[in-house]
Amino acid sequence: MSATTVTPATRCASGWDRFWAVALRVPGIRTWGPFAVLLVIWIAVAVSHVVPAAFFTDPLTVWNTFVSLIERGILPAYLGDSLVRLLVGSAFGLVIGIAFGFLVGLNRHVRKFFWPLLLFFQAIGDIAWLPILVIWFGFSITSVTIVIVYTVMFPLIISIVSAIDGMPQNLLRAAGSLGAGRWSQLLYVVVPGTLPGVSSGIRTGLGYGLRALIAAEMIIGTSGIGFMMFDARGQGDVAKVFVGMIVLGVLWYLVDALILAPFEKETVERWGMVEGVGR
Amino acid sequence: MRERATRLAWFVSPFLVLIAVWAITIPAANVSPRVFPSIGGVWDTFVEMLLDGSLLANTGASLLRVVIGAAIAILLGVPFGILMGMSKAVAGFFEPLLRFSVALAGIAWIPIATLAFGYGEGAVVFIVFNAVFFAIVYQTLLGVRQIPVSLLRAARSLGAGRLRMFFEIYLPGAMPAIAVGARTGMGFAWRGLIAAEIIATSLGLGYTLFLARQYYETDVIILVMIVIGVLWLIMDRLVLVPIERRTIQRWGGRQGVDE
Repeated sequence: MSATTVTPATRCASGWDRFWAVALRVPGIRTWGPFAVLLVIWIAVAVSHVVPAAFFTDPLTVWNTFVSLIERGILPAYLGDSLVRLLVGSAFGLVIGIAFGFLVGLNRHVRKFFWPLLLFFQAIGDIAWLPILVIWFGFSITSVTIVIVYTVMFPLIISIVSAIDGMPQNLLRAAGSLGAGRWSQLLYVVVPGTLPGVSSGIRTGLGYGLRALIAAEMIIGTSGIGFMMFDARGQGDVAKVFVGMIVLGVLWYLVDALILAPFEKETVERWGMVEGVGR
Repeated sequence: MRERATRLAWFVSPFLVLIAVWAITIPAANVSPRVFPSIGGVWDTFVEMLLDGSLLANTGASLLRVVIGAAIAILLGVPFGILMGMSKAVAGFFEPLLRFSVALAGIAWIPIATLAFGYGEGAVVFIVFNAVFFAIVYQTLLGVRQIPVSLLRAARSLGAGRLRMFFEIYLPGAMPAIAVGARTGMGFAWRGLIAAEIIATSLGLGYTLFLARQYYETDVIILVMIVIGVLWLIMDRLVLVPIERRTIQRWGGRQGVDE
């Protein structure tokens, strides 16, 4: 792709766009710029006291709370608990989701039977399972893990199925008429063609898995970041809630930057339908 | 007509199989009602809660919260997503922030929302809004990026101004993605709603669900879970899927998710 050549679209861009284009070329701005802007707004709002202090605080207090939580070892321990739960839950969720997604997407009979059930059980939603899971397994890791597996699985299955449906039929016809058999069509056409869908499914699945984890920790509440935030809310400790949200955001950002984004880049740019030119 | 009946039959039959399995295994394995209820138990609870009006009151409260939260989110999210997607630079600048927010949207806001709005209506509506808003903005952004470049160039070279580009190119072009975003966003708002209701209110399906857990009333739990599932299916099949199918047929180049 010739992303660097001057296209008619870039030539007629307005001055504002040109400003952005130049500003973004400065190293660091692309990554940290939005957060710097956010931080400045945060400080401005905190200093001006527009928002009641009951649910808002300034960056310095949050930083001090963060440091003291680390010194007392609370944050590392809770973060570790949350991470282990998320890892175990998503690992099971991914394996089941990918296997089931391709099965439902590719086989007409499996799809006919399971699609309504899938829609229904997806509709019930992860958190609604929590009360009955608590009755079955108590306030335990098992309940939390099952909820995460459940959450990660469904977005993945559904986006794999829609990726298979969204594949241009001509690709399959072309492969078929060039003599590809069923298996080589699956291996060389369907799998690469659905990888962008798989990667976006993993993104949604993990994103919502993280949320289900937080909700489960708030409700079941023995340890973890979600528990810390909800506990702090009870004590009216706003700074601790903010620390929790920021830690969750940074955690997601790391997962995104180190795992999801590279995978997506590989798949979407190589096999996806997004044109990267002239915008 | 006949084709519709066949499709309905195919849609219903998996559930009939599931109900049959339920009807056979629970008495056969002699499961205690404190672990899993029988079909008869759930039906009795259904009739009882319907007659004393508690089922309708709780369902109505939950639905109202979803409708208000989602409506605000769609009205704000679609223009926001398109405006961001229109400029590659702006989209690139805000994408990290958006990713950050997507991870935090919904449930992680419950502590702050309850501090800001107190336990009650406001906090729950805010959580629903939050969940739908970010899904819509993100999908709209992706949708705008997927509009064929040649289409943009054609419209621009034919002299379309910013306003016309917005309403005649970007909005219709992003429509299929917006519909998809609305559908996923609503799906997750529905979950966020349940979580928020468990934590923050004294009325609604989520609250009923968690109250029943305290007394080991599995019949109420299963009934409410079925209500939650059925309500979502109705919303999904009768509102969201038709919208998605229409937009994809009209503006998108591909078939819908389910035939």
